[in-house]
Amino acid sequence: MSDSKKGNDENDNIDIKIDKSKLSKRRKRFLITRYLHSFNIIIITMIFVFGFSYLLFFKRETVSNEENRTLTEFPSFSLSDYFSGKYTEGIANYYDDTVHNRSKIKKFIASKLLPLKGRQYGDDGIVLYGSSFENEDEDKNSEDTTTSTTTKPDSQVTTAPTTETTVVTTTVTTLPDNTNPAAEGEIANNIVVVNNRGLMLYGGGKENGLEYAASLNAYKAALGDSVNVYSMVCPTAVSYYMPENYLNLTASEKDNIDNINSALVNVTPIDVFDALLLHKNEDIYSRTDHHWQPLGAYYAAQEFAKTANLPFAELTEYDTVSLPGYVGTLYGYTKSASLINNPEDFIYYIPKINTVTTRYTTTFTEPHEDSLLLDSSKMSSSNYYMVFGGDEQITQVTTDCKNGRTLVVFKDSYGNALLPVLTSSFENIYLCDVRYFDMNAVSFVQQVGATDLLFAMNTFSATGGNHDSIEANRTK
Amino acid sequence: MIFSKLFFLYFFLPICIFAYAAAGSIKNKNTVLIIFSLIFYAWGEPIYVFLMIASAFVNFGAGLLIEKYRGSKGDFFITGAAVLYNLLMLGIFKYSGFIVENINAVFSSNIKVPDISLPIGISFYTFQTISYVIDCHWENVKIQKSFKKFLLYITLFPQLIAGPIVRYSTIENELDNRKTSVTDLSYGLNRIILGLSKKVLLANQLSIIADNILGDIGNASFFGAWYGAAVYALQIYFDFSGYSDMAIGLGRIFGFHFDENFKHPFVCKNITEFWQRWHISLSTFFRDYLLYVPIFGKRRKYGGLFLVWLCTGIWHGASWNFIIWGIYYGLFIFIEIKIGKKRMKKIPTVINHIYSKLVIIIGFGIFYFNDISKLGQFLKTIFFFGGNGLINIADKISVVNNVYLLIAAILCCLPIIDVIKKISEKSFPIKVFVSFANTIVCAALLIISSIMLVDATTNPFLYFRF
Repeated sequence: MSDSKKGNDENDNIDIKIDKSKLSKRRKRFLITRYLHSFNIIIITMIFVFGFSYLLFFKRETVSNEENRTLTEFPSFSLSDYFSGKYTEGIANYYDDTVHNRSKIKKFIASKLLPLKGRQYGDDGIVLYGSSFENEDEDKNSEDTTTSTTTKPDSQVTTAPTTETTVVTTTVTTLPDNTNPAAEGEIANNIVVVNNRGLMLYGGGKENGLEYAASLNAYKAALGDSVNVYSMVCPTAVSYYMPENYLNLTASEKDNIDNINSALVNVTPIDVFDALLLHKNEDIYSRTDHHWQPLGAYYAAQEFAKTANLPFAELTEYDTVSLPGYVGTLYGYTKSASLINNPEDFIYYIPKINTVTTRYTTTFTEPHEDSLLLDSSKMSSSNYYMVFGGDEQITQVTTDCKNGRTLVVFKDSYGNALLPVLTSSFENIYLCDVRYFDMNAVSFVQQVGATDLLFAMNTFSATGGNHDSIEANRTK
Repeated sequence: MIFSKLFFLYFFLPICIFAYAAAGSIKNKNTVLIIFSLIFYAWGEPIYVFLMIASAFVNFGAGLLIEKYRGSKGDFFITGAAVLYNLLMLGIFKYSGFIVENINAVFSSNIKVPDISLPIGISFYTFQTISYVIDCHWENVKIQKSFKKFLLYITLFPQLIAGPIVRYSTIENELDNRKTSVTDLSYGLNRIILGLSKKVLLANQLSIIADNILGDIGNASFFGAWYGAAVYALQIYFDFSGYSDMAIGLGRIFGFHFDENFKHPFVCKNITEFWQRWHISLSTFFRDYLLYVPIFGKRRKYGGLFLVWLCTGIWHGASWNFIIWGIYYGLFIFIEIKIGKKRMKKIPTVINHIYSKLVIIIGFGIFYFNDISKLGQFLKTIFFFGGNGLINIADKISVVNNVYLLIAAILCCLPIIDVIKKISEKSFPIKVFVSFANTIVCAALLIISSIMLVDATTNPFLYFRF
C-alpha cells in the first residue's frame, strides 16, 4: 500500500470516527443547553408561582403604620367607576398595596437595599431627600429689624382683656447655643436626614408672611377689643437641629417669624422660638415625623399662657403616656434606613382634670361627644394623628377651668397637640383647622362668644399656601 | 395595566401564560391572546378599548379594499383615506387641546379647550395601522383576510401601549404559524426580568435624583443642571428600553419575534448614530414612510429631514418642548450630514463622544421641561447663566448618596451582555457557566425587583403618555 493510499484509508477511518463523536458531542451539548434552559425556566417559574401564591393567598395588610395611612381597600363596583377605569385600577392598587408583611418588606428595602445606592456623604451620613432650597429671603435678611412688636395683655381673667401694642427691644437671656456641629446626612423631597433625624428644609416666604400678618390684623379689626388675637408661628425642627455646615440649605424660620411679628397690629405674637430653644435638648420635636412632639407643644402653650396671663398646669398635672417604636411621616417621605432603624418614643400628656369633648363637622353641625385624646391601647400603632385625631372637624373642649374665657384656635396640624395642654388655661376651647373650616371665621368666633383667638401655625403654613385659607375663612 | 406592577407580574401574566399554554391549537392561542390583550387594555381604558377596536376594523377594511381596487386610483384613494383617518384620530385625541390652546394664544380667541384624555398607546397602535395600510398599498405585505388575526396584531398586549412599533411584516407569518421552544421561553423570561430590573432598580431610582434637581430648576447649580439632565437621560433610557425588553420578552414567550428597539444608544459617537440606536422602531418608521415624501421637490433631502424631526418631536407629545426637541436633533443631524461621514470619522473618538453626550444631555433637558419658562431657566443654568453657582452642597450629597447607582447605570448602558455572550460562545464550559450564572442573576433580579415593587408608588412607564 502506497503512502498516499494508506493515508486516504486512515483519513476515511478518522472521518467516520470524528463524525460520530462530533454528533454525539453536539447532541450532548444540545441536551445540556436544553437542560440549562429548562433549569432556568423552572427556577423563574418557581418564583412566579411563589409570588402568585404569596400575593393571592397570604393574609393582606390593612394599615401602614410607617406611612400613617389605611391601605387601599378593595374597590366597590359601580358602572361609573368601571367606565372611568377607577374600579379596575383600584383592584390592581389593592393587590399591590396590601402585600403580606408589607411593613417588614419596606423596612428591609429601607435598611438593606436602598443604602446600596451609594455612600454616606461625610462622617455623619447626611442624605438630602429632594433638592435643596436656596434661601429665598437671603437678600432681604439685612433689612430685618432688631426689634419686635409684642403686647401687654390685661390681667383681667373674667372679661376679655384689651391689648396694647408696645414696641420693645428684644433682649435675649441665657438662651442655649443654637449652633449644631457639622454633620453628615441624607437629603430627599426637601428633607435632610442627619443624625437619625429628619429635617424639612424651609424655603421661607416673607411676602406670604406679611399677607398672613395682614389677615390676622384684619381679624383683630373685625373682632374689636372684645377678643384678644394672638399669633403663634411655630418653628420646625430645622431651626434647632440643622448642622451648621448645611444651614445654607434652609431659610431662617426665626427671620420669617420676626418678619410676621413686626407686621402685626394689635395682635399679640407668642414667641415660641426662644421658648423652644430653651428646651432644645429635650424631645420637643419628633426625629421621624414632621410634627413636634407633645412636649414641644407644651412649652409653646406655656409661653402662650405666660404672654396671655393665663393659668397653666405643670406637667405633673398630666398622665404621661409613652408609646415606643414610633416612626413618623418623614420615613414615609424619605424611606430612610436611619429613620426606620431608629424609632423613637411618642410621649403625650393626658390632663387629669375633667374635660368634655364634643366634635362637630367643619360647618359646626352634628355634634357628638368623644374623648379628648384617642385611646392608645386600642391603636395598632402610634402616630400624631391617631393620638390627636384628624383635621377635618371642629373640636370643642369644656374644662374645669372656670375662668370664663373661651378660646378659638385656628390652626394647622401643629395646633392639634396644643389642645390638651391648654385645658388648664381656658374654660372653653374650639379647635378649628384653617384648611377645612367651612364657615365665616369672624362670625364663628363671635357666635361661640370667644374671648381669645389664637392662630397657631407652623412656619411652613404661615408663610406657605395655608395662609390663604385664613384669609379665605375671614371673608367666606 | 402596567408591566411594573405586582398585579401584572404575579396575577395577570401567570394566568395568561397558563391559558395560552393550555389553549392547544394556534387558533385557540390567538383567541386567548386577543381576550387577554383586550382585558389588559380595558383595565386602564374601559372606553377607549372600543376606539382601538374601531381603528382595527377601519384599517382591516382598508386593507381589503386596497386589494380589491389594486392598480386603480381607488387603491391610492383608500390608502390616503385610511392614513388620514389614523392621523385624524391621533390629532383629535392627542393634539386637539394643544392646537386650540395655541390658536387662543395667537389670535386671543376664547375657543373652549377640549377636555379629551389621551388614550393609552394611541401613538403606537396608530403608527402600526398606518404602516399596515401603506405596506398593503406598496404590496410589501399580503392583505390580512382574517379580522381576528388583524385584531391580534393591533391589540397584542406585550407591545400595545408603549411599543416597540411592530410592523405587520414582522409578525405576519407568526400570526398563523409560531411555536414557543424551550429556548424561546427561557429567553423570554430572562428578557422580561432584564426589562423589569431596568425599570424598577435603575429608572425608578434615577427618577428620584432627576426630579429632585430638575423639579427645582430655579435653584439648580451649573453642575446640578448637567447632572440632573444626564441622570434624566439615563432614567428615560432604562425606563423605555426596559419596557421594550419586557415587550420583546413577552412576545417571545408567545412565539413572536419583535425587532430590537434599542441598541446601547449612549455608546454612539454622533447624533445620527444615536438615532440609529434609540427607539429604532420609531426612527425607521419615519425613515420608511415619511423621509422621502415628494412634497419638497429637489430639496427633499433636507426638507424631509426636518419634517421627520418635527414629526418625531410632535409624536412625543402635544407640547412645544417636544417640537423644539425634535427640531434640535434635526439640526444636529443636518450639521452632521453637511460635515459628511468622512470628515466626521476624522474627528478624534473622544471628541465625538463628548460632543454627542453633551448634545444628548441637553436634548433630554429639553425633553423634561413642558413649561417653556422652566426650560429657559434650565438652558440658562446649563450654560452657566443660572446665577446659582458652579455646584452646591445638595449636588455633592446627591452624587455621593447615589454613587453606586450611577456607576451601575453607566455600566448598564454599555453592551456588557453582548460581550459576555461573545466570550461564552468561545468555549462550551464557559457557556454552561454563563448560562447557569444567568439563571442565578435573573432569579435574584426578579426577587429584588419584586421586593422593590412593594415599596413603589405607581410609577408608570414614561412612554405611556406618548
